Amino acid sequence: MPRTVISRRVAVVAASVALATAATACAGPQGDNAASASGAGGKAGAPQKGGTLQILNRQPQTDFDPARLYTSGGGNVPSLVFRTLTTRNRENGAAGTKVVPDLATDLGKPSKDATVWTYTLKDGLKYEDGTAITSADIKYGIERSFAAELSGGAPYLRDWLIGGADYQGPYKDKKGLDSIEVPDAKTIVFHLNKPEGEFPYLATQTQTTPVPKAKDTGAKYEEHPVSSGPYKVVKNENDGEKLLLERNPHWDAKTDEERKAYPDKIEVNSGLDPAVINQRLSASAGTDAAAVTTDNNLGPAELAKVAGDKKLADRVGTGHFGYTNYLAFNPKVKPFDDPKVRQAIAYAVDRSSVINAAGGSSLALPATTNLPPQKSFGYVKYDHFPAGESGNAAKAKELLKEAGHEKGLTITLTHSNAKDRETSPEIATALQDALKKAGITLELKGLEENDYNDTIHSVKKQPGFFLAHWGADWPSGGPFLAPLFDGRQIVKDGANFNYAQFDDASVNKEIDEINKLTDLDAAAARWGALDKKIGEQALTVPLFHPVYKRLYGKDVKNIVISDWTGVLDVSQVAVK
Amino acid sequence: MSEALLAQEVGTAPAAVPASGARQFWRRLRAQRSAVVAASVVAFLVLVALAAPLLTALEGQDPNTFHPSLVDSAAGGVPLGSFGGISAEHWLGVEPQTGRDLFARIVYGARVSLGVAVFATLLQVFLGVVIGLAAGLGNRAVDQVLSRITDVNVAMPLMVIALALLAVVPPEFPRPVLIALVVGLINWAGTSKIVRAQTLALKSLDYVSAARLSGWGKWKIAHREMLPSLAAPVITYAALLVPQNITVEAALSFLGVGIKPPTPSWGQMLTDADVWYQAAPSYLLIPAALLFVTVLALTVLGEGVRTALDPRSQSRLGGVRRGLLSRRKGGAQ
Repeated sequence: MPRTVISRRVAVVAASVALATAATACAGPQGDNAASASGAGGKAGAPQKGGTLQILNRQPQTDFDPARLYTSGGGNVPSLVFRTLTTRNRENGAAGTKVVPDLATDLGKPSKDATVWTYTLKDGLKYEDGTAITSADIKYGIERSFAAELSGGAPYLRDWLIGGADYQGPYKDKKGLDSIEVPDAKTIVFHLNKPEGEFPYLATQTQTTPVPKAKDTGAKYEEHPVSSGPYKVVKNENDGEKLLLERNPHWDAKTDEERKAYPDKIEVNSGLDPAVINQRLSASAGTDAAAVTTDNNLGPAELAKVAGDKKLADRVGTGHFGYTNYLAFNPKVKPFDDPKVRQAIAYAVDRSSVINAAGGSSLALPATTNLPPQKSFGYVKYDHFPAGESGNAAKAKELLKEAGHEKGLTITLTHSNAKDRETSPEIATALQDALKKAGITLELKGLEENDYNDTIHSVKKQPGFFLAHWGADWPSGGPFLAPLFDGRQIVKDGANFNYAQFDDASVNKEIDEINKLTDLDAAAARWGALDKKIGEQALTVPLFHPVYKRLYGKDVKNIVISDWTGVLDVSQVAVK
Repeated sequence: MSEALLAQEVGTAPAAVPASGARQFWRRLRAQRSAVVAASVVAFLVLVALAAPLLTALEGQDPNTFHPSLVDSAAGGVPLGSFGGISAEHWLGVEPQTGRDLFARIVYGARVSLGVAVFATLLQVFLGVVIGLAAGLGNRAVDQVLSRITDVNVAMPLMVIALALLAVVPPEFPRPVLIALVVGLINWAGTSKIVRAQTLALKSLDYVSAARLSGWGKWKIAHREMLPSLAAPVITYAALLVPQNITVEAALSFLGVGIKPPTPSWGQMLTDADVWYQAAPSYLLIPAALLFVTVLALTVLGEGVRTALDPRSQSRLGGVRRGLLSRRKGGAQ
């Protein structure tokens, strides 16, 4: 059991890293003007079929195998090729945080205690070779993700499915997982070891993509995965650096309400420099006029340049992704064991200078809650230690005096040297300046990125005070709060995310209770209330939620950016 | 008087700068207008660096205070106002995103950039002279060992090693000292090679042989006979090392392993400024121009020192000397 827990934490590290890159990368075109708020942004005129969409990215689409991908909601490019049991709603803003059926006819029928989930497949589902998609293929696809040689996906299936912890995948264990039943070709039943009301969210991940057993080539499957979506892979060079996708003739739009699939071809060019991508998108010359990016934001300096150019500003999409950057305390380290010291720091923080350091008010929103400010997370607004826009130094001094630090306090803030404007020196120096006004001398300890990750995730090495960030695997309070504040998720000898090492019986119990709810709205309200309650402990000082701004080419139409991904949805755009 | 001058010049032995040569050196350095200008620029920059607290007090700013109200937060934090927010309060404008005063950061940055470069140069010269002398004066085995170590040092890629070293040293260690140490310890081989070659040449000269025959020890010979003669090439080389070290500090800070925030250095400013070249050009241009002027001034000065110390360049200085002489003659008449 502990082994599983460790592996899970390791996987979550991978997740947070993936999310971090997604975050730095995610900037969705949507235009923050009124025009795009009404719906689709981009070039005027009705979207038409045809043309070639260019995707210019930093990160190559490596491991293009549904078993190996770690995605939120099925990913961007992967979602063009891989259909899943459920998927994210392809709509702008908050509506895009809803989970909707994809291959299945509904979001799944739960048993009364949410431990058994039953899905029925739609009629007329076919692979790129015309053969029918069966529920046994989905079972096989999930079982593959348990094989050691196809690792990389999220840890939830292993943790939740009965027998998942010990299952080695279908290559070693031909019998398969008993906890996934396929009574007929259209039905699939999952048996979980505990109630999980959010199973429909998990079913959006690419592991629920059908994989025909006869076509499975193991680790080589990523070179030509069999498409169930609107596009098939024609070329995959250099492990996903260059991809060419063409229409899958056997994909039937009648079975797929989510993917629009306007372009005839999609070319992915990755491994590009961030500045080059933005330069090419702003020039929008030649084929770049039909180009978008799914992982490259505008930085503050680029935003400053774009802001002065009306034509360019019209081609910027704005996206929100559930993500919070915050100051983390480890109350096991003095003086952070004293709630008054933690509260004093919360009062002293100058969010306006922190936000400027993060790229300004267009790229970051002030945060006073752990949960991102979106309804699907159950966001409840609270500000237990109001610092105002630029910090309340007087109140902070008062608290420090009560805590016996009337002569001031010298503390160390650990941060990374990554140039990400999230846990980086810019944020740390802004905090240093603000805390000085409250009589707190902040010494900065910048660590190289890997060293930083090792240090903050190790219970043994964890400093008392550091910059941290968190994004959830799906837009709900569960994957946001549980890893950070569930006392049973403290990992002594692995990657720990419960930085405060917070273990409160009533909080743990409430997490279990919410997981039983299959009404996602009801669950969201409870997550929000729980966050507000946890916030009183001052275990974190939320700083800001990032906003993603991305350029797109001048011929690109039908811009849709959901709050689930914060990224321009490549299944919706048209280039004609 | 002119005869005396001429006599002095003719009497100059190669690579020997005796006491009388010091005055001659200054005179020949002063004779080069470019060197004089360069020296004034360097002196000015050193003064600015030393007087940084005074200058910022005069301006009424300090290098680390944030001014969120002076930048346009919605536009990525670009400074409000023209030319990067230049005003009576902020003489060179403010830094994008933070609103920190650029003038204050520039003058404090000069302390770090110049200080690190000078300290690193002194270390390089010290190591180079000691190792070069030891190799030149030592027996065959010592020479072989030291020369091979020097060769290895020459072959070591400075930036790569510096990057690796700076990444592993605990962050508590004061960065400017660390950078100076790393640069100094890695890059001494050039000086050492010059000193060794010069020592070997000097060893065979009559006055050194005479000293040896009269029973002087190696250290005494090194100290009394060699060092004065080595001064010329070493000073010349050192003058050229300083600008090189400034650029190394800038490059290391640019790559993110140099000076730690919030301490300003020109290299660190360039790192942060490079993406702002279109939106806030003055933020990039001011530190870049200063770095350029400093390195150029030091290089010209170094070249001037070399010329002034190098007896073979007399012919090249001929024009100047003639001018000098004729002026002096004119003055005498």
